[in-house]
Amino acid sequence: MPMSSSESSTALKRTVIVALFAAVAVVLSIMEAQIPLAGMGLMPGAKLGFANIMILTCIYFLRARDAFVLVILKTLLTAFLLGTFSSLLFSLFGSLFSFVVMYLLVRFGGKRLSVIGISIAGGLAHNTGQLLAASIVLKSSSTFYYFPMLLITGVVTGIVVGFAVRYVVASLSKISLFEEFLGGTGH
Amino acid sequence: MKRADVLLVSIVLIAALAFLAPRWFSDDKGGPGKNLVANIMVDGKLFKTVQLTEEDQTVEVRTDRGYNILKVHDYGIEMYDADCPDKVCLGFGFITLPKQTIVCLPHRVLVEIAGASGGDEIDAYVQ
Repeated sequence: MPMSSSESSTALKRTVIVALFAAVAVVLSIMEAQIPLAGMGLMPGAKLGFANIMILTCIYFLRARDAFVLVILKTLLTAFLLGTFSSLLFSLFGSLFSFVVMYLLVRFGGKRLSVIGISIAGGLAHNTGQLLAASIVLKSSSTFYYFPMLLITGVVTGIVVGFAVRYVVASLSKISLFEEFLGGTGH
Repeated sequence: MKRADVLLVSIVLIAALAFLAPRWFSDDKGGPGKNLVANIMVDGKLFKTVQLTEEDQTVEVRTDRGYNILKVHDYGIEMYDADCPDKVCLGFGFITLPKQTIVCLPHRVLVEIAGASGGDEIDAYVQ
């Protein structure tokens, strides 16, 4: 199907944005992996979820399928670079669950919840998804012992990520590359 | 933050506290005379049950996926070494209380502390 030049330019912009966001998300994940959270007495395996900044920003600017591509790209690239293939399925499960929850909230509950609420919900969905996957693999529900701690850390990191998204969206809105995507999903 | 955000945060925090509160009030404490055991499960099946003693014990879990070395001492247990790629299991530290767990996902290993040996909880794992 031939596209008009403005259509193809929009498609190109989408691709560029997804690629840029994926690169930033991977860098954020690598930075985050260097922080020894477990050594600080926190739940092992708990993460700050900085990559979620880019995924939530992408949901705000672009379409669901672009954000979906971003989630897959980010998870695969991070697994390649950090060499954690055994946990690839778990992070994929958690990220996709979190993406679906955040997308639905932006789409249908966006007026009532702010970015911060949506990022908290996404973080909690990520934790829940991973715990569910773990309990299925281990055939035991005792992994849920850590669920309350994950809820609390999820709220804290969700608030931090939400504030970051607010600033990122405000700053990117001033760049001409993002002009035509403003108000796309509505926020 | 909007009102719905505050509501979401409060609901989640209340839920977390509701899960945590029973643990603070329960008298499930470790230490001598409690006869706690650690159930080591591999792939959902009971691999071994070890008594949590004051003396040092080393438990090796060797499977096709790799090895995990657990150490029992001072009425608790900790993951001492493992050749899994992420080493998350080493981060769980030294655990001493019932229901606390150590998980090594890449090796499908789960260690859970349970009450006095011979309790019905352990029978449930025998299939």
